[in-house]
Amino acid sequence: MSLAETPTPATAPAPVPSMAAAYWRLQRSELRLVLGRRRNLVLLLGLAAVPLLLGLVLFFTQDTALDGQGPAFLGRVTGNGLFLVVASVFLCLPFLLPLTIGIASGDAIAGEASAGTLRYLLTVPVGRTRLLLVKAVGALAFAAAAVSAIAVVGLVAGAALFGVHDVTLLSGDTVPLGAGALRVLAVVAYVGLSLTGLVAVGLFFSTLTEVPVGAMAATVVVAIVSGVLDTIPALSSIHPALLTHHWLDFAEFLRLEPDWAVIGGGLAVQAAWVAIFGALAWSRFTTADVTS
Amino acid sequence: MSNLSPRARWAVPAVVGAVVAAAFIAPPLVASASSEELPAISPQQLVTAVAEARDQPLSGTVVYTARLGLPSLPLGDMAGASPVNLLDGSSTMRVWTDGVDRSRAALLGATSEYSVVRDGPQAWTYSSTDDAVVHYVIDAKDRARYDALQQDPPVAGDLPTPAAAASSVLGLVQQFSSVTLDAQSTVAGRAAYNLVVTPKSTTTLIGHVVVSVDAKTSTPLRVQVWDRTSKTPAVEVGFTDIRFATPSDSVLSFSAPAGASSKEVSVPLPETPAAAHSATVPDGTTVTGTGWDTVVQLAGVDVAGLLAGDADALSTVPGSAPAIGSKSGQKLLEEFGADGSSKVRDLDLGTLFGQITKPVPGGRLITTKLVSILVTDDGRVLVGAVPGATLQADAR
Repeated sequence: MSLAETPTPATAPAPVPSMAAAYWRLQRSELRLVLGRRRNLVLLLGLAAVPLLLGLVLFFTQDTALDGQGPAFLGRVTGNGLFLVVASVFLCLPFLLPLTIGIASGDAIAGEASAGTLRYLLTVPVGRTRLLLVKAVGALAFAAAAVSAIAVVGLVAGAALFGVHDVTLLSGDTVPLGAGALRVLAVVAYVGLSLTGLVAVGLFFSTLTEVPVGAMAATVVVAIVSGVLDTIPALSSIHPALLTHHWLDFAEFLRLEPDWAVIGGGLAVQAAWVAIFGALAWSRFTTADVTS
Repeated sequence: MSNLSPRARWAVPAVVGAVVAAAFIAPPLVASASSEELPAISPQQLVTAVAEARDQPLSGTVVYTARLGLPSLPLGDMAGASPVNLLDGSSTMRVWTDGVDRSRAALLGATSEYSVVRDGPQAWTYSSTDDAVVHYVIDAKDRARYDALQQDPPVAGDLPTPAAAASSVLGLVQQFSSVTLDAQSTVAGRAAYNLVVTPKSTTTLIGHVVVSVDAKTSTPLRVQVWDRTSKTPAVEVGFTDIRFATPSDSVLSFSAPAGASSKEVSVPLPETPAAAHSATVPDGTTVTGTGWDTVVQLAGVDVAGLLAGDADALSTVPGSAPAIGSKSGQKLLEEFGADGSSKVRDLDLGTLFGQITKPVPGGRLITTKLVSILVTDDGRVLVGAVPGATLQADAR
């Protein structure tokens, strides 16, 4: 009886903003931080310089004996500026893009930890799951910005230097400019989505350490080791599961009839890496002692 | 913060990993298990059904794998999609055909493609690596004969489908082999009969050949050739997915892209398909042995010139004129090798030749799991599905 009459202490908190609004405020500030950080801007500028330099080099050598030589797609740039986008993405894919992803995602948690700001973030208060999500979206946004920087500068430089024309596919058939531009856009989108698995791997490494450089390096190493394993014929049975194995499947969009099974398969492998390493990062981050 | 224990939290990635693994492994298992029971059929009935079946309009993906035991070649994907890749390793092709006389086959490289398009009396090859087109048309004087042949419907598309490979295998069947039916299986997602052809000869390198035939359309879906010892087929070509529908017109036509280098080649129409099947052989060629032990001997081949990439040397090879519209179709390698001279210049063929051949008394020998090739010092080339020693004995 008396229990029921005893007024419970007023624990009802002061009115808090809704969960969603709080999340978006945190997410916006994280995006501002990631995309506005000077180090990251320099990275984006460096990536954007690749198509510019490539375009200028091809422009000044186009009437020499060197014309049309080099890796795939390079020879087509002088005939059609749209291919500068594809060639630049293709050249950045093996190393520059993984390096960029490694820096952005490896820094996500470990950077806060090493700066001593992680525990303040967690006392805001914000749940660890939500903070991890915010950091993941930030790293993904930077990956998208990196690919877009290459694509936009490639498109502008290619159009200015060589003009844009109907697109000749790998099969030798020609599609109109509109359809061709859509295909190039699809190439860029596929490459961007291909990097999501590496973002998840980097995020996981970032939760393991308080030394951001370690997480960044480990992420880049994963991409490189995956690329090396992909060249060893004896391991062909595990090739389809490798992180980097399907990266070049973006070429599917430049074939006569893109095989959606191939494209879907490549994206499914990325989704699998995201699921596994996202879950690992979550387990680690929500169980770890945050001391700094 | 939450009511999950750390141990429970670490179980999450394990569960996610298991689910992901199941999602990737389960569908193929289900697909291969769902083979409905097919009516029993005799080998003869199956062979007849294949021979009688009309060529189907279809499109699909063909994977060709060669494990011939050649030393690994320094080619890989560096050279782009090129017919040379078919020598060893795995290659993927997309094929489309309307089942009559229009077809396209594309050999895929990671970022390149080599296409062969046939549109009635003309054909093109296009290499994306070189941006080069070769356009083949039938000689003006043979054109009338070609058109007349078109009135007779059964002039089949000359496509490197399993159909072409199967028909040549079935030609050898009656006389020199025993033919049985193996358990039914699923190939390219379709229920298939498996015809097993085993040579009666014990001196050939070939162990047995399995032809998987689609139960519904009697279209050969896969051909596997085993040597006598290996656990995996030495050569395998088959669909990994197939759709029986007429491809769109844009796939079956071709026009050279702007800016590509282009070459026109006029080819004679080979004798009528019936004549092509007959036993006449080109001058300079002798055939010894029978059935699976057949050895073909070519005389007067300018091997050194060929290795130097000299196009004229190609004319010293008996019967090497490119032939479109020939049903006998020299199958896969020749289909893609039709313009070999344009691709091979990138490779140091002399070095390659030195790597894959070994010196023997009187010449150089290439031994693979299925075929031996002996190049003698006096300019003869002997080819056969027999051990190298047999060729050396024949060469004397």
